[in-house]
Amino acid sequence: MSFRNLAVLCLCVIVSPAAWSTVFVQWNSATLPPASALGVNEIVFAWEPGAPNALLATARKRGYRVYVETPLNQATLAAKACARKGCAGIILKVLEAESAETEKSIASLRSAYPKLRVLVLSPTGKQPKIRGSFVIKRNSVLEVSSPTAQPWIDTNLAFIKIEQRSRRPQVPLYTFSWSDQGPQTTPTADDYSLAVAEAGAFHADLVLQLDEHLQQGLNRHDGDAWALWNQVRSMLKVSADASAAALEPAANVAVIVDQLDPHDEVANLLSRHNIPFRVFTAADLKTEELKGFDIVIVFAKPDAETAERIKNLATAGATVVVVDAHGQYSWQNSQPVQLNEHTTSYSVGNGKVLELAEAVSDPETFAQDIRRLLGKRNALLSLWNGLTTIAVPYKNRGATITLLELVNYAGEPVRLQVQVKGSFTSIRYETPEHGCCESLEPVTHDGFTEFVIPEIRIAGRINLESR
Amino acid sequence: MRFDKRLAAALVIVILSAGLSAQSSGEPILVYKEKYVMGTVFEIAAYAESSEKASAAIDKALQEIVRMDDLMSNYKPESALSRLNRSGHFHTQKVPPDLYRVIEQAVQFSKLSGGKFDITVAPLVNLWKAALSGDSMPSLSQRQQAEDCVGYKKIELTPPDQITFRSSCMQLDLGAIGKGYAVDRAGEMLRSLGVCNALINSGGSTILAMGSPPGQPGWLVHLRDPSHKIDPYVMLNDQSVSTSEQTAVSLLAPESAGHIIDPVTGRPIDTQFAVSVITSFGTPSDGLSTTLLLLGPKVGKSLVDGMSNVSAIWISPKAEIETVTNGPNIFFGKQL
Repeated sequence: MSFRNLAVLCLCVIVSPAAWSTVFVQWNSATLPPASALGVNEIVFAWEPGAPNALLATARKRGYRVYVETPLNQATLAAKACARKGCAGIILKVLEAESAETEKSIASLRSAYPKLRVLVLSPTGKQPKIRGSFVIKRNSVLEVSSPTAQPWIDTNLAFIKIEQRSRRPQVPLYTFSWSDQGPQTTPTADDYSLAVAEAGAFHADLVLQLDEHLQQGLNRHDGDAWALWNQVRSMLKVSADASAAALEPAANVAVIVDQLDPHDEVANLLSRHNIPFRVFTAADLKTEELKGFDIVIVFAKPDAETAERIKNLATAGATVVVVDAHGQYSWQNSQPVQLNEHTTSYSVGNGKVLELAEAVSDPETFAQDIRRLLGKRNALLSLWNGLTTIAVPYKNRGATITLLELVNYAGEPVRLQVQVKGSFTSIRYETPEHGCCESLEPVTHDGFTEFVIPEIRIAGRINLESR
Repeated sequence: MRFDKRLAAALVIVILSAGLSAQSSGEPILVYKEKYVMGTVFEIAAYAESSEKASAAIDKALQEIVRMDDLMSNYKPESALSRLNRSGHFHTQKVPPDLYRVIEQAVQFSKLSGGKFDITVAPLVNLWKAALSGDSMPSLSQRQQAEDCVGYKKIELTPPDQITFRSSCMQLDLGAIGKGYAVDRAGEMLRSLGVCNALINSGGSTILAMGSPPGQPGWLVHLRDPSHKIDPYVMLNDQSVSTSEQTAVSLLAPESAGHIIDPVTGRPIDTQFAVSVITSFGTPSDGLSTTLLLLGPKVGKSLVDGMSNVSAIWISPKAEIETVTNGPNIFFGKQL
């Protein structure tokens, strides 16, 4: 295969609409409704050696593409059985400790079963939700910490961004366990919808675990179960929309790390503050062109080559923040300016290098600092009244932001004021509740466009156009 | 800042298992609900004879908080406060009784603190808030312009419900007292519906404890400890605690902005203390916590010395502690 063909193939893999954002439903009941009724095409069963295979055949007959989820150590066995039964693929549930073995196993499975999709599942996502601060102990005494706090959101955005780098070219595929909600409480339509909305907005694939009571209710045509699921279906429909397939996340902050940690708290807080960032490894810094990044945050320990690249990025105009920097680097030939007890600044070409002398102990403050460093001129995106909303901008190949995906975790509808970098004449707002699309009034000034979203309940999508 | 997922998970498990076991034994049922309002998460945990009663009362109390937000929000353009901020300049405005009461109480704190606590600080707050979100630091002339609009003495209150601004640019911001007032109204609502043992939390900054859990002397509340070395806590029974703390100092900038502004200097206060204040109700604890942060421990302690049923604690990241106790005792979970 020529390099050109290989490049085209890779591009197809990356932008393939089918692989852009899919919800796989995890099922464990003995019967199941037809795919057309459930509104999902991908269904996942846990692999059990020696278990009867009738359910797999039934699922296929009912219109599903069937996947089998298996731990890495049983993957070969599962793949063999799965290929025989006409499954669409197998999903490898990979623990962090097994990551090193994964690539080898995948290559070997793909070679042995070329018609079988082999996907890697990250099982350590979290249930998306907004959180209070009450804690109740077993003796029923409430304990409460008492800081002055903004609402805390559990979101998977940072986790997905890190997975996007570590699993590429596979679209991140993740799952999470529902928080134990007690014996009489099960996930609500809003809980499921929020999970689906996240996966869609962040363009990841999700294995959605369906509560057993819901599965049973759907099987016995229970009205409440279907009413719940029909709400989720409207979210599934919007999330599965592949119109965004040729777009990629817009980001003007690069985060360079030595190790990809899916639970990195700094990345989590950057996400919470709606700072569009992309994750790279230190090795990427040597091979990839980091163009279009206004801020580069370096957590990796720079070697001589990396340090030279950092200097070049600063020379070209970026602000490079080197965290926990200790050592002799060429940018230190410039006149140092001590900004405060933590940070020294060096002017380098059109940009600068900021050396933070310690590791980040307060990711919240650090994220706010990065937001301030970007300043108004370089903010791709700003939200007002958006404490509970995560927004992800997507750009086309011309690097123009054309889509904004929004997820609101508040459990309440909110009115949102948005500013996006770029001048747009048409703002169209799509929601699961009202479909596509409501026109919003844009106000443009100084290269930015502002508009008001009258109400976002859980998810919303903004299409931006300039004529 | 790392939050423990297991703690949040424990929350619901224990509420429900406590509730279920109690239902069969005839003991009070504990019900918990939360709602995002006023830019934060309000939580209520309440005991009642039945989960239906507790649940209905909590719903009403949360509705009352939403009603307060509709009155006091300076984000919602149609709130009573926004209307007053638009049209109260040299024009007497009739305002809803709750808005009048909270402004009246805020002015009392202004008098008490010699103007350090001041709800007319909104123009300065807006200026520094912009700096916090990426704008450049306010210039001297911008600050002076905003300072000209500040001064609680220019609020004219005419009982029972009329307010006039004696300034052409005055703006009120109830951020330092509004949540405390909302918590008190929610508590009144619960009481009127026969629920007397409850805990109401406005995003951690103000907590009102009504009565106590069954068989307990009070509600155990841990206080903010920026040093992580002291673990102060209180047992609250028909009392409220509020905490104030300035925005953390910037790691990467030469100058820090902040959300708590000293109306006298026109700048964010430069303090690393966190202050917790315990009083009988949410409105005074909320107002006093900001006041005592602005005054600092020395002046603050002398102010509290003249009050009954008030305790306060200042804690720095270096574990420096100042306390004044004219009310509930403050305990320490760790020895220095």
